[in-house]
Amino acid sequence: MRAEISTKNIRSEFVQRVEELSGQDLLACYQCGKCSAGCPIVEEMDIIPNQAIRLAQLGLEDEVLNSKTIWLCASCFMCFSRCPKGVDFSKIAEALRMIAMGTEIEHYGPQQVPWEIAAEAPQQALVSAFRKFSL
Amino acid sequence: MKLCYYPGCTLKDKTTNLDQTTIAAADELGIELVELPNWTCCGATYPLTEEKIANLVPQIRILYNVMVEGDNRVTTTCAFCYSTLKRANRAILNDPIKRKRINAYLKDDKRIPEYDKETVYNFKDYNGEVKVVHFLEVLRDDVGFENLSLKLKKNLEGLKVAPYYGCKLLRPPEEMEFDDPENPRIMEDFLESLGCEVIDYPFKTDCCGSYLSLSAPDAATRASHLILNSAVKNGADLVALTCPLCYYNLDRRQEDIGNRFMDFSPIPVLFFTQLLAIALGVEDEILGLDQHYIDPSPLLREKKLVT
Repeated sequence: MRAEISTKNIRSEFVQRVEELSGQDLLACYQCGKCSAGCPIVEEMDIIPNQAIRLAQLGLEDEVLNSKTIWLCASCFMCFSRCPKGVDFSKIAEALRMIAMGTEIEHYGPQQVPWEIAAEAPQQALVSAFRKFSL
Repeated sequence: MKLCYYPGCTLKDKTTNLDQTTIAAADELGIELVELPNWTCCGATYPLTEEKIANLVPQIRILYNVMVEGDNRVTTTCAFCYSTLKRANRAILNDPIKRKRINAYLKDDKRIPEYDKETVYNFKDYNGEVKVVHFLEVLRDDVGFENLSLKLKKNLEGLKVAPYYGCKLLRPPEEMEFDDPENPRIMEDFLESLGCEVIDYPFKTDCCGSYLSLSAPDAATRASHLILNSAVKNGADLVALTCPLCYYNLDRRQEDIGNRFMDFSPIPVLFFTQLLAIALGVEDEILGLDQHYIDPSPLLREKKLVT
């Protein structure tokens, strides 16, 4: 991956917005990788959680917003409960999802659920998925 | 003892076995679970961005109604309801801005035809007065596990059970304050008090894939396989859990797991309250064993626990 690292990106509005929405200090992360080591969904991700935080730190907006990773966080908080710096990746992922959705109201909405799944999935799964993946 | 009970939506539809066994088991223990009148959805997940304050209103509306009913405690068995209610209550206690804004929403809660100035002026703010407790905590702290083992009608001796916690009960640990996030004991202690043999395995606190079950089913299948396979390999007869979504992923998803992982052998998944109800001698019809994808009846019949 080719990426431009510049102070312009690092101090961009995007970085400020991620920190504001998530309430997390992105630069607190020192890339130990404990979040990625414990993540139960990491095998499905294109970039792993600590890489997503690194991209956000550097203000590489397109790279992080176009990753599959932000849509694969189930907010189980395994990463957060093990993070030595107290960084909550689940909150960062939620902030990134909100920015990525922008004005596209639904990333995953009722139309995407096959009816046979909707008929047998527990209500809480439907409510959670719509809450996490639509604005 | 009377206790206010919040069942949650899934317990009234997809997992009525969890609802019925909770009520029946509590009844056997002398606890009357009084269902909160006119309860609504808890919102399922706790909002994680600072701006989604409106997503905290459903949780606080429920807790406010518990307070109006004159109770200072509410119990639930669903891990999602427990987590989101407890975290929202914590936000109300610690964040004065959220407290003010959510109370402003609640104040305007009346439907327009019922709107009258008097109720608005007499509105009493909700300031986090209600304590949210999980039914396992009621069993541990109110009943006591030692006391519980004296009340059993059937001992579950010889049943090898793998406890599964999942994510919502334990994490984030600072907010949930439920048990040790890496080495929890409450489910083990509970199962031991029923006489079960507890099987230890490394994935009991891992996530089952949660609601990714809908948006990324393959991820949930792989995560669930890891948990179930580990329980099977460590010698478990069945998996015990508390959450209806974990139950869906670990039980119903065994069809997909079987198709994808050839070496997998199926294992029944039961709610902890079903085991409790069996041990307390609740009638078999209430157990709802016919609702499972992997039928636990042959195993339970072999152990002479159901007929």
